[in-house]
Amino acid sequence: MPRIPLGTWVNDAVDWLLHHVAWLFDFFKAVFTGTYEGINAVLQAPEPLLLIGIFAVIAFWLRGTVAGVLTFLGFAFIHSMDLWENAMVTLALVLVATIIALVVSVPVGIWAARSDRVSGVVRPVLDFMQTLPAMIYLIPAILFFGTGASAGIVATLIFALAPGVRMTELGIRQVDKDLVEAAEAFGTTPRNTLLRVQLPLALPTVMAGVNQVIMLGLSMAAIAGMVGTGGLGGDVNEAIGQLNVGLGSEAGVAIVILAIYLDRMTNALGTQVSPLGRRAAARARSLQGLKIWSYRPRPAVAVIGVVALALVAGGMGVFGSNGGSAAVAGDKNVGQGKKITIGYIPWDEGVASTFLWKEILEQRGYEVEAKQFEAGPLYTSLAQGTVDFQTDAWLPTTHEQYWKKYGDRLEDFGAWYDETSLELAVPAYMKDIDSLDDLKGKADLFGGRITGIESSAGIMSLLKNQVMGEYGIDKEYRVVDSSTPAMLAELKRAYAKQEPVLVTLWSPHWAYSDYDLKKLEDPKGVWGEGDGVHTVARQGFADDDPVVGGWLKNFSMTEEQLTSLEAEINQAGKGGQQDAVRTWLKDHPGLVEKLAPIAAEPAAAPAEAKRPLNVAWFPWDECIAVTHLWKNVLEQRGYKLNLKQMEVGPVYTGLAGGDLDLNFDAWLPHAQKNYWEKSKDNLTDLGTWYEPTSLEVAVPSYVKDVTSLEDLKGKADLFDGKIIGIEAGTGQMSLLHNKVLPGYGLDKEYKVVDGSTPAMLAELKRSYAKKKPVAVVLWSPHWAYSEYELTKLKDDKKLFGEGNTIRTVANKKFPEQYPQLTEWIKNFRMSEDELGSLESVIKKHGQGHEADAVTAWLKDHPDMVGRMTPR
Amino acid sequence: MSARLEAEHLYKVFGRRPDQAVERLRQGADREELRSDGATAAVIDASFTVEPGEIFVVMGLSGSGKSTLLRMLNGLLEPTAGHVRFGGQDLTELGDQGLREVRSRKISMVFQHFALFPHRSVRDNAGYGLEVQGVPRAERERRADEALALCGLAGWEKSWPDELSGGMQQRVGLARALATDADLLLMDESFSALDPLIRRDMQDQLIELQKSLKKTIVFITHDLNEAMRLGDRIAVMRDGRIVQIGTAQDILIRPANDYVASFIQDVDRSRVLTAGAVMDTDVSGGEPQCRCETARPATPFTELCAISARVPHPVSVLDDDGRMVGVVPARRLIGFLGEEDGDTVACDAPGDAGSEKVMTRA
Repeated sequence: MPRIPLGTWVNDAVDWLLHHVAWLFDFFKAVFTGTYEGINAVLQAPEPLLLIGIFAVIAFWLRGTVAGVLTFLGFAFIHSMDLWENAMVTLALVLVATIIALVVSVPVGIWAARSDRVSGVVRPVLDFMQTLPAMIYLIPAILFFGTGASAGIVATLIFALAPGVRMTELGIRQVDKDLVEAAEAFGTTPRNTLLRVQLPLALPTVMAGVNQVIMLGLSMAAIAGMVGTGGLGGDVNEAIGQLNVGLGSEAGVAIVILAIYLDRMTNALGTQVSPLGRRAAARARSLQGLKIWSYRPRPAVAVIGVVALALVAGGMGVFGSNGGSAAVAGDKNVGQGKKITIGYIPWDEGVASTFLWKEILEQRGYEVEAKQFEAGPLYTSLAQGTVDFQTDAWLPTTHEQYWKKYGDRLEDFGAWYDETSLELAVPAYMKDIDSLDDLKGKADLFGGRITGIESSAGIMSLLKNQVMGEYGIDKEYRVVDSSTPAMLAELKRAYAKQEPVLVTLWSPHWAYSDYDLKKLEDPKGVWGEGDGVHTVARQGFADDDPVVGGWLKNFSMTEEQLTSLEAEINQAGKGGQQDAVRTWLKDHPGLVEKLAPIAAEPAAAPAEAKRPLNVAWFPWDECIAVTHLWKNVLEQRGYKLNLKQMEVGPVYTGLAGGDLDLNFDAWLPHAQKNYWEKSKDNLTDLGTWYEPTSLEVAVPSYVKDVTSLEDLKGKADLFDGKIIGIEAGTGQMSLLHNKVLPGYGLDKEYKVVDGSTPAMLAELKRSYAKKKPVAVVLWSPHWAYSEYELTKLKDDKKLFGEGNTIRTVANKKFPEQYPQLTEWIKNFRMSEDELGSLESVIKKHGQGHEADAVTAWLKDHPDMVGRMTPR
Repeated sequence: MSARLEAEHLYKVFGRRPDQAVERLRQGADREELRSDGATAAVIDASFTVEPGEIFVVMGLSGSGKSTLLRMLNGLLEPTAGHVRFGGQDLTELGDQGLREVRSRKISMVFQHFALFPHRSVRDNAGYGLEVQGVPRAERERRADEALALCGLAGWEKSWPDELSGGMQQRVGLARALATDADLLLMDESFSALDPLIRRDMQDQLIELQKSLKKTIVFITHDLNEAMRLGDRIAVMRDGRIVQIGTAQDILIRPANDYVASFIQDVDRSRVLTAGAVMDTDVSGGEPQCRCETARPATPFTELCAISARVPHPVSVLDDDGRMVGVVPARRLIGFLGEEDGDTVACDAPGDAGSEKVMTRA
């Protein structure tokens, strides 16, 4: 048989998709994360007990008193286990996946029910989706969607789609043929037959499908914890990794409570929405008579209950946030509620800087109003003093006329951004075109078109009247007047398809941060010197408020900052500007302090600390220790670290893809060799911080006479002929199979049991408790050595090879992004004592208190911070 | 106003190459030959006319093609060949849209298993056809309630189908069909799923309703007694073909072939036959010679027997003008009951005419 290279084909297909349809995945990603974040925000916002109340009222309405009470107790239980936030993350994930799954599966199910051919095509696809092991599409999901919610949603979706389609199809096909015929016999159109007869009658089955979708989604959401979706799945994953049965069962029980609730509610909802179900339920109730335990309020009452609770929840949210801003810490409350009005022109940089200042000033205790104007009225308002300042004055050229008119009644606080320019731009993938000179003779490439903006804009007349003539391209090229949004849409479209495109653009503009674009050089300087973007205030503003005046006078932004902020705001859309600013500020910690300094400000963080680091960690002891140590130390230095717990495979994929920045626990060159080899082109090795490690086979010390691998010979009976292994395919396992066992002549006697690390540890624990002989695959450092008395079997022939070193691995671009951090990490070392003591302190403090443990440990090791991050 | 329904050389073949199969059927091939080629002939060359206001019963055993034939009449099945005309309009020429229009306004249907929509109340079921027509709610409910009242279901409008007995459910089915004011009523074994007493009731009610409504009705049944009770004319189907069309008495007295004959064996003749069908027409014309009781041609068989028991000689049958159109000797009555129309054989024992005496006493 020739080898059919299916794997290669799939790889090629994945590569192709990555390169060519990335925009599509980005679109889906945006849809998924958008929906997810929306729902998650709604679920996370209210006080947990209130939301629990809302859930309970829904249960009360749908199923009766007992259900309502049990719901309250169950969710309160989750809340008491401190799992509320994660439970809501999981719930949001499942809801999004369910909604999307239904949007897709119900129409497909209907289609399949009406056409045998469609049904024949759909069925194997569903089988495929349902039975393909989850890990196989979890990893591609990361490739396409990055780690986090959207990958989890996609995986959940793929898994949960099938029952929706199947049950819809089944439900419709099950509808009595006589009824369909009767509908037809009375002249019903096919569409109405579907809507008035088939769907209503299929509804109970369809709802059973919905129920299945939710249940499968929930079970998948737990697995998706592996790709960093977080939620209860993350907790379960973490617990399994550490063999922490306690935490695992807490998270597990929380999932079960969620599952039971969702199951019962969708069931009851099924009864409620289908006319047949409503009838059956009503009849059952009338037989039963009115009993308090099965009493159910009428829908109106329930709706009122839910709305009332939601209002209270919402109200508390509002008051909560009001309270938050009122409670600006004493020393930061510079404004004391003073009112400031900012005017702005709805241009990207104006919106960005205005809302940035609105947020900053509000953080400083001012009450800020942002008003939108056209340029003319804005200057008028400033001159009249109804607006305090504006940040979008293009001087000296663009707004010259206004300045001439009102300049004597205004104060110029200077330019906060002076790298403005007007230009033509092309995507960076257009080789050979770097300057306006290069455009000559290339008209064919661009279809002879320059995509412009509103014909009235200054840049357009400059382009048509001077630039094109000067470079002699006015015959070749036609300037297409359109609008700014249309120009941007055209750019986006062409960019996605990697087609040539030539657009008029100006800096600053967010397009430069969203796309890789080239500004065409203007060697003849026809575009002229750019304006500066100035902050202009009403006369006397600086005297009235010298503090803010001082801040504004010192205000400046880099191109990177401005464009990324613009992009963020652009993404958030109208109404979300200030939220976008907040998000952006989170990525730029310390900026508020820099722009609006308060006396006695702590030393500013290094510039590179502005972006939070995504650090992946495995639930292994040395990794927990080192990761939390770095988190503690780096946060003292002004960095921000997001810790994400993940499996090994996804971590390497995430690092290579740039979703993750760092992982401190790479066992190289052996244990994680496979992963490294695969992604090494996109990774950087930041050196080792701990050596030596070793790989070995270990047995409990109570197994006498076995101290080396040689001793295993002839003892197969003792160990049942088994060596308990870990995940098949890991470096250590291949070594054991291919070298170690044959090397010691053990390969005939012993069978290596493939499994997983948790399974191996569980087996070790079980055998250890019974004092049974057991041989396991293990490595040092490992907490098992401190937990149990184990003998590392000597490897006299050195067949396991030299030990691994524990190294820090980062994305390839990491060193240029974080030069300071790179240096620190490269010089970082830990001794066995230090690591051991830190691990044991963390173990003592227990799960969830790693940060406290590190703080405590650092007190005993006062030199550590200085050693790790020398100034 | 009701209209005439005409079916003209209807064929329905399921399976492969139906057109070719029809061609072969026309040339005389039989069903079995076609079956081996993967085609099933359900209806073969069916032609008949149903006059306005007539109840036309199609009778046959299961698999005889009667249901298929019925579904071709309203276009639920498209005939492989042939034409259906109703009120002068050729339904086979219509497209989907036109057919739906006809079905919603001119033809309605009552089903064997009622086919009521379980998710609609009785009133909404009865008003379904009107809803499809787009009749506004108020008028729809009014007409639905009227139709329900007509079928004896006043007061049940707000009930649900599963709360009703089988007979009442079928009344809802009938009301649904009547509510649209369709001229043609197709009834597909509509009473077969009911138990015998209820079935009788429903048959009576249908006859009663028909007296006032004068719809054109095509009624399918496998029960010959029902066919005889209801049908103005009856078509007997076998293996996809119509083997005989005629009135109940035609079929009883002159079965077209052995199949029909064997069919009518079990029929309670006394319910079907009338004096006109059994009388001896050799003696006709003139006035009766005595003042004994007489019968009319429409006098039912059982009544005729009663008269015969009271009269010492053959009963005279008179027409509307009082003229004698035939006589019924008692022996002839017994002959019809026993399906024996041969001559009396002479008895070799003394005391002849004993049978007649027994009959008289009975």
